[in-house]
Amino acid sequence: MAGAVTLAAAMTTLAEFEVPTIDDFLPDTFVFQGTPFAINRIIMVRLIATVVLLLVLGITARRAKLIPGRWQGAVEWLLEFVRNNIVYEVMGSERGRRYVPMITTLFLTIFAFNICGIIPGMNIAATATIMMPVCFALWTFVQYWIAACRGKGLGRFLKDELLPQGVPIPVYVLLVPMQLIDIVLIRPLSLAIRLFANMMAGHLIVALCFAATQYFLIEAHNAMAAFGAVTFVFGFIMTLFEAFVAALQAFIFATLSCVYINLSYPEE
Amino acid sequence: METLAVEGIDLFLPKSFDIFWSAVILVIVAIFFYKFFLPKFQSIFDERAAKIEGGIAKAEQAQKDADEAKAKYEAQLSNARVEAAKIRDDARAEASHIIADARSRAETEAAQVTANAQRSIASQQQQALVSLKGEVGVLATALAGKILGAKLESGDVQTSMIDSLIDELDKEPAGK
Repeated sequence: MAGAVTLAAAMTTLAEFEVPTIDDFLPDTFVFQGTPFAINRIIMVRLIATVVLLLVLGITARRAKLIPGRWQGAVEWLLEFVRNNIVYEVMGSERGRRYVPMITTLFLTIFAFNICGIIPGMNIAATATIMMPVCFALWTFVQYWIAACRGKGLGRFLKDELLPQGVPIPVYVLLVPMQLIDIVLIRPLSLAIRLFANMMAGHLIVALCFAATQYFLIEAHNAMAAFGAVTFVFGFIMTLFEAFVAALQAFIFATLSCVYINLSYPEE
Repeated sequence: METLAVEGIDLFLPKSFDIFWSAVILVIVAIFFYKFFLPKFQSIFDERAAKIEGGIAKAEQAQKDADEAKAKYEAQLSNARVEAAKIRDDARAEASHIIADARSRAETEAAQVTANAQRSIASQQQQALVSLKGEVGVLATALAGKILGAKLESGDVQTSMIDSLIDELDKEPAGK
C-alpha cells in the first residue's frame, strides 16, 4: 500500500506522533503491584467485560419467557447457532450434546472479550494478553484428552494419532515426534496464538489509523490533512472489520475445539 | 520504533497476575454458563417444545373428534335416508293394497246388486205370468162365448173347449 510508505516516513520524522506499540499489550499495573493479583488496563477491561457479560446474559436468562421478545430471540438465535452450526455440524448431535455447554461458553465469552477491542473507552480486546486465550485453549486441550480416554481409549488414540496407517515404517521416525508435538503442543498453542495475534493485530491497525487521523487532521494542520481523512475512513472500515474478526475468531476457536475433541472419538 | 520498552517475546511470556485473572475469570464465566444461564435456557426450550407438541397433539385430537362426529352424522343421515325410503315404500304398498281392497269390494257389491236385480226381475216376471194366465183364461172364455154364442150352450162342450184351450196355453210358454 502506497499509504503505508508515507505513513512510515511520517512516523520516523515526527516524534510527537503517537504510534501504537506492543507496550499497549503490557500496560503498567496500578493495584496490587508485584503480587499475582495485580491489575493492569487489560485485566481491568477483562473484569469489566466479564461483569457486563454476566449481567446482560444473567438478566436475559432471569427474564426469559416462553414467548421470546426481540432481545431474547437474538440470544436464543445465538445459542441455537452455536449448538447447530458449530457443535452438531462438526460432531453430530449424539456425540455433541455433551459439549454444547462448553462450546457455548467459549464462543460467547471469546466474542464478548474480543468485541471490547472496538468499544470506545476500552479499545483493547479482553483476550489481548496471552493467558486468556491460553486458558480457553487449555480447556479444549483437557477436554480432548478426556475424550480420547473415554472415546477410543488412550492407547488407541495415541496409536491412531502417532502411527497413522498407510505410511512406510521408516517415515515413523519423523512422523511420531511431529504428531506427538501436534497433539500435545501445537493444537492448544495454535488455538491460543491465533486468537491472541488476531486481537493484537486488529488493535494495532485500528489504533494506527486513528493515531494518524489525529495527527494529520487535528494536530498537523498542513497539506497532509487530506491524508488524515483517508486514514479516518480506513480506520472506520477497520473498526467494522474488527467487529467481524471478533465474531470470526470466536467462531474459529469454537469450531476448532469441536474438531479436536471429535478427533479423539473413533470414526463411525 | 526505537522507543520499544519490551521485546516481542515478552508478549508470550505470561505474567503471574495474567495467569491468575485469566483462570479466575474463566472459572467464573464457566460456572455462570453451566449452573445458571444454559440450564435456564434449556428449560425454556424444553418447555416450549413440550407446549408446541401438546398443541399439535390437541389439534390432532380435535381433528379426530371432528372426523368421528362427521362419520357419525353421515351414518345417521344414510340411516335416515334408508328409513325414509322404507316408509315411502310401505306407504305406497299400503295405498295400492287399499285401492285393491276397495276395488274388489266394489266389484262384489256391484255383482250383488246385479244378482238382486235379476232375481227381482225374474220373480216379477213369474208373478206377471201367473196373473196373466188367470186373466187370459177368463178373457178367452168370454171372448169365445161371444164368438160361438149358441153353440156353446151345452155344458159339456163348453167345459171340454176351455180345458183344451188352457192346455194349449200351458204348452205354449213351456215350449218357449
